Amino acid sequence: MTLELQAFLLVWGTLVGLDLVSVPQMMIARPIVAGSVAGAILGDLATGLQLGVLFELFQYDVMPMGAVRYPEYGPATVAAVSTAHAAAGTLGLGLGALVGLVTGMLGGMSMSVVRRATARAVQAVAGRLEAGDAHLLVRLHVTAIARDALRAAAVTTAGLGLAQVVRVYFAGTLPLRGVTLLGVAAVAAAIAAATAGTLRVVGRGANLGWFVAGIAGGTVLAWLR
Amino acid sequence: MTSAPRPPLGRSLLRLFTVQGSWNYERLQGIGVGVAEEPLLRDLQAAGNGAAYRAAVARGAHFFNAHPYLCGLAVGAAARAEHEGATPNQVERLRSALCGPLGSLGDRLVWAGWLPVTSGLALIGVALGLGMGAILGFLVVYNVGHVALRWWALRAGWAHGVRVAAALHQPFLQRAAAWSGPAMALVVGAALPLSTGYLAAGFTGWARGLLFGAAAAGCALLWWGRGRLTGLRYGLALLAVAALAGWVWR
Repeated sequence: MTLELQAFLLVWGTLVGLDLVSVPQMMIARPIVAGSVAGAILGDLATGLQLGVLFELFQYDVMPMGAVRYPEYGPATVAAVSTAHAAAGTLGLGLGALVGLVTGMLGGMSMSVVRRATARAVQAVAGRLEAGDAHLLVRLHVTAIARDALRAAAVTTAGLGLAQVVRVYFAGTLPLRGVTLLGVAAVAAAIAAATAGTLRVVGRGANLGWFVAGIAGGTVLAWLR
Repeated sequence: MTSAPRPPLGRSLLRLFTVQGSWNYERLQGIGVGVAEEPLLRDLQAAGNGAAYRAAVARGAHFFNAHPYLCGLAVGAAARAEHEGATPNQVERLRSALCGPLGSLGDRLVWAGWLPVTSGLALIGVALGLGMGAILGFLVVYNVGHVALRWWALRAGWAHGVRVAAALHQPFLQRAAAWSGPAMALVVGAALPLSTGYLAAGFTGWARGLLFGAAAAGCALLWWGRGRLTGLRYGLALLAVAALAGWVWR
C-alpha cells in the first residue's frame, strides 16, 4: 500500500473520529460508512462494505449516552479495512476484526484522556469563564475540538500501524484453517454483540414481538436470495 | 425587558453542530452550549447592557447534559429567557429542568430509534446488493431527520422561552417516540439474518455450524453477563481462542 493511500486513510480516519462526538455527528463515524469509504479509497469497495457491516453489528452493542465509556469503531473500521485489503474474500475478515477491535478499544480509552484534559483546561480558566469572557469561551471550545482531532489522528495512525504489522508479519503465516477460524470468530462475535445489544434496548415488552417478526422476515428474505 | 427582532438562529445552529466538541467531565456539554448560545445573547451587549451579556454568557457555559440534537431547545429557551429579563435563578432552574427530559427523549428518538432504523436499513441494502447506494441513502435520510430535529429544537426553544415544556408535548414528538421502539426492533431484527447471510457467504460446512454455535453462545453470555461482558471483550476473547485453535489444528 502506498504512502499516499495511507495518508488518505489517515485523513478519513481523523474526520470519522471527529464526527463521533465533536463535529458534526452526521454519522460518517458509523462503521458502515467509515468502512465503505475506506474501501473505496483503496479501490476495494467489497472489503470496505464487508468490514463495515461487521463493525456496524458490533456498534449495536453500544449506546452512546452521557459519560459512559464505549469503544470507538469508526477509525477502527478504517484500520480493519486497511488490514483486510488484498486478502481475498473472507480471509481478511478475522485479521481485520482483530486489528479493528484493538483499535476500537484504544479509541475508547483515548476519549477518556481527552475529556480529562479538557476538564483541566476548563478548571484552569474557571474564574474568567464566570466573568463571562466570550472570546475565552470560544477559544476553549475550538482548542478542545483541535485536541479531539489530534486524538482521532493518533488513534487512526495507531490502527494503520497495527494493520501494517499484521499484514506484513502475520497474514501469510496463518494456515488456511486458522484464517477460517478467525473469520468465523469475528462474524460470530459481531452477530452475538448486535443481537444482545438490540435485545437490551428492545426489552421484554411489546417490542420483542416486533423484533421476532423482523428476524423471521429477514430470515425468509435471506433464504429466498 | 429587551426586544430581539431578528435572532441569529442560523449562526447558533451552526455552532450547535459542534456542541459536544468540548465535552468534559467538569461541565459535560456546558462549554459547547454556552458557545452556541452566545450569538443569541449579543443583542444584550448591543443594547448597552454589557454586564447582563457577560452574566448570561457565563450562565450559558455552566454544567449541561442532554441529547446533543436537542440541546438547541435549551439554548433557544435560555437565550429567550435572558432577553425577557428572567432572573438568574429562573434561567438556571430552566436549564437544570431540561437536562433529564431532553436526554431521555433524544436517546429514545435518535439513539434507540432513528439511528438504528436507518443504519439497519443500510445493512439490509448492502446485504441485498445495493452497495454504495445503501450507504449514500443512509447518510441522506438520516441527516434529513438529524438537521430537521436540531433546527426544530432551536426554533421551538427560542419561540417558547421559559414555557418551553409545551414544545416537548408536540403531537409529532409523541407519535415519533411511540413508533421508534417497534420500528427499530423490526428493522434491526430483519437486518440481523440478512447481514449474517452476507458475512457468512464465504463459509461452508463445519465453519457455518461453528459460527452459529459461537454466535448463540456469545449472545447468551452477553445477555446474562451484561454490565461485565461487552461485545468488544467477547470478540477479542473469541479471536484469541480462534487464533490458538488455528495454530494447534493445522
